[in-house]
Amino acid sequence: MKTKASQETPDLSRRDFIRTSAALGAAAWAAGTSRMFAAGSDKIRVGLIGCGGRGTYDTTNCLNAAQNVELVAMGDLFGDRLDRCRKQLTKELGLKVKVTDETCFTGWDAHKKVLACELDLVILTEPPHFRPAHLRAAVEAGKHVFMEKPVAVDPVGVRSVIESSQMAEQKKLTIVGGTQSRRMAHLIEGMKRIRDGDIGRIIGGQCVRIGDGMLTWSQETKVRQPGWSDMEWQLRRWLFLTWLSGDFIVEMHIHNLDKMNWAMDAHPMQCVGLGGRQVRTGPEYGDAYDHFAVEYEYPDGVRIEYMGAQMDKVTTRQDAQVVGTKGRVYMDSGNFVIEGNKPFKYDGPSPSPVIKQHADQIAAIRNGERLNEGRRVAESTLTCIMGRMSAYTGRAMKWDWAMNASKLDLSPPKYEFGDLPPRPVAMPGQTPLI
Amino acid sequence: MSLAGIVPALSSRLYAAGSDVLKVGLIGCGGRGTGATTQSLMGVDKSVKLWAMADLFQDQLDACYNMLSKGAKGRYDRVDFDGLPDQMDVPEQRRFVGFDAYQKLLASGVDMVILATPPHFRSEHFEAAVKAGKHVFMEKPVATDPVGVRRIIAAAKLAEEKKQSVVAGTQRRHQLHYVEIMKRIHDGAIGEIVGAQCYWNGAGGSLRSEKPAEMSDMEWQCRHWYYFCWLCGDHIVEQHVHNIDIMNWAFGGHPVQCMGLGGRAVREGGNIWDHFAIEFEYPGGARVLSMCRQIPGCSDRVSERIVGTKGFAYIDGASGFIKGENAYEGPASPNPYVQEHVDLIRSIRQGAALNEGVQVAESTMAAIIGRMSAYTGRALKWDWAMNASKLDLSPPKYTFGDLPVAPVPVPGKTPLI
Repeated sequence: MKTKASQETPDLSRRDFIRTSAALGAAAWAAGTSRMFAAGSDKIRVGLIGCGGRGTYDTTNCLNAAQNVELVAMGDLFGDRLDRCRKQLTKELGLKVKVTDETCFTGWDAHKKVLACELDLVILTEPPHFRPAHLRAAVEAGKHVFMEKPVAVDPVGVRSVIESSQMAEQKKLTIVGGTQSRRMAHLIEGMKRIRDGDIGRIIGGQCVRIGDGMLTWSQETKVRQPGWSDMEWQLRRWLFLTWLSGDFIVEMHIHNLDKMNWAMDAHPMQCVGLGGRQVRTGPEYGDAYDHFAVEYEYPDGVRIEYMGAQMDKVTTRQDAQVVGTKGRVYMDSGNFVIEGNKPFKYDGPSPSPVIKQHADQIAAIRNGERLNEGRRVAESTLTCIMGRMSAYTGRAMKWDWAMNASKLDLSPPKYEFGDLPPRPVAMPGQTPLI
Repeated sequence: MSLAGIVPALSSRLYAAGSDVLKVGLIGCGGRGTGATTQSLMGVDKSVKLWAMADLFQDQLDACYNMLSKGAKGRYDRVDFDGLPDQMDVPEQRRFVGFDAYQKLLASGVDMVILATPPHFRSEHFEAAVKAGKHVFMEKPVATDPVGVRRIIAAAKLAEEKKQSVVAGTQRRHQLHYVEIMKRIHDGAIGEIVGAQCYWNGAGGSLRSEKPAEMSDMEWQCRHWYYFCWLCGDHIVEQHVHNIDIMNWAFGGHPVQCMGLGGRAVREGGNIWDHFAIEFEYPGGARVLSMCRQIPGCSDRVSERIVGTKGFAYIDGASGFIKGENAYEGPASPNPYVQEHVDLIRSIRQGAALNEGVQVAESTMAAIIGRMSAYTGRALKWDWAMNASKLDLSPPKYTFGDLPVAPVPVPGKTPLI
């Protein structure tokens, strides 16, 4: 989890911001609707729900993405996490942090209390399990939403997010999902070329992300502390609990699979996957796997292969390839290269996508423009979830079934700090497909 | 190798100095050895005779002898058959048992041998058979490590020089619809090949029983060879080599590098895994998915798919087709397990040596580098594995004694050797 946001994401001047937006074709900004936001002021008041590393990072970027954006409320399940985050944000952002003790909330209903505050935009960065419920509450409360990826851990959650996104549409609320690759300049330019037919018809592809076993993540929670209930330990180790994180194929590799959906301009029709845990085998790693491989079949039978692993001391890779009838694309976090009839190599600027995603949203809010990424990020989330479900159960699976018929709901019986037996690690061929 | 153009009638050339009896020796009397022998004997050429048998274990050899004499029900790799006593001439003195049984068999006057022991032993047996001037049918895979692969390749080249036939048990190479589709692919029917997938997702077992106290480690492992990597090569090598072989066939060569992952989610006992996924890269940058699983109760898939700029081919054990600019439906194929022996015996009779030794060694090697990459978590280049890897899974000695079981591999910890 990065926290050095101030170094990586300089406070853009308003002029820089306009220029960047225009350069990347943000027609919204050029539309010139100078409608003042929020009753005569263009101030954006932000609430943060989920005060972990990512919440701290996103809030920093959001408040630095445009002028006159302030943090006014914070919520987290745990007081210690909230305090740490508040301290850090205050240090990083100074006067932009307007929260008071009265607008800091902890506990299971902290999100409701945040949403009851006077604010325009809420950042949802709690563990993914909570996203569907918090999104629903935010939309019902009439707030614009920035939500981190993934947006659910199971198909029931995905359906809820799609429904909430439709509600937001009706209420003219904006939703941005934290799949920041969608705002990487080299990918935007490259994907446009794919769409323009520069590699012909797409006939295959691969994406690979291997490395970083995350063994040092949250060292202080590795050993269960006396006094922690099952629920508390699981929440503090959420990354490795499938019901909370969705497992790493969902939690982290959504970035990679989202790019494949983007390249294909579609979601997969079916998949078959495998996986297991060969290195992270201790109880401190919950029920998460450490490797997956999934073959996704997109419309017209195009097969995209995904391989992902979180392991240390292995060959590290993060790249993707898309193959067409007239050429081939290689892409990674900084490169986009087309070989074939219309060769191309991106060498333009690479403005920070994690700033841009907030800047775009703030601009949309201020200009009353439509910006709703809810369904798209929900579909990318389900892409990952169905890959996980296929690997966990050993069963091939169709999108339509997962989207419409699967009853998988990983919610615990109740939300309270008490007993919660850990789920067994999935066993293909034995773990039921639900 | 192509079926088309080979005259079906047997050449009238007499074999082996005036006798037209082709004497076959079986080394490795398990299920596959038994099946391969029936297929060798039951071809159109009835003057093929089983002449000698060898196995590590007497009980295994006896069971095989009885089955071949009396007949048995079919299974996935052989049909029902009646006893074949008329084509058997295997007196007690030509039934050999022990680690050196193969040497005795090679000295017993056979013309051709069937090598069907666990894969670990193949390279030693093949080398000895070629040096002894024998024609060879050898089961896949032909090794479990790079050291073994190199030995196979060297012996295959020697067989080439000596014009001895070598056919491997990658029977798809002798299956008509594979041959016809592959011919079209090589003629450009799907354009340039830019990707492919191959799968063996099926069931598999566990080694749940305990070693009897009086049995040595070596005997226990040899009797349950599938579950021990040094003997079997793991299922990606032992079984999935069939599908990887099709990838090499389509591309006309071996991969240049690979990156793999896998593990053991369900399997118990021994030290092999139960799932792998490998990305192979072929010359020109085409990436190929290989996926294999041996876990019961999962969705099964055993097939290959080859993607080109003008279409794609789908092939499995029963059928195949090409879709795209040059659509084609593959024909029904005769039993490939029989056909491979028909082709071998014909080549021996005609003195037109078939030699699949290097080809099957390269397919075996592709599977081995996939396994090595997955076991260690390291991307691997073909050239390094072929020329520099020192991985040799041989036990310190071949005696019925102690032999600790190597740990189940853990990526990032298991060293790349």
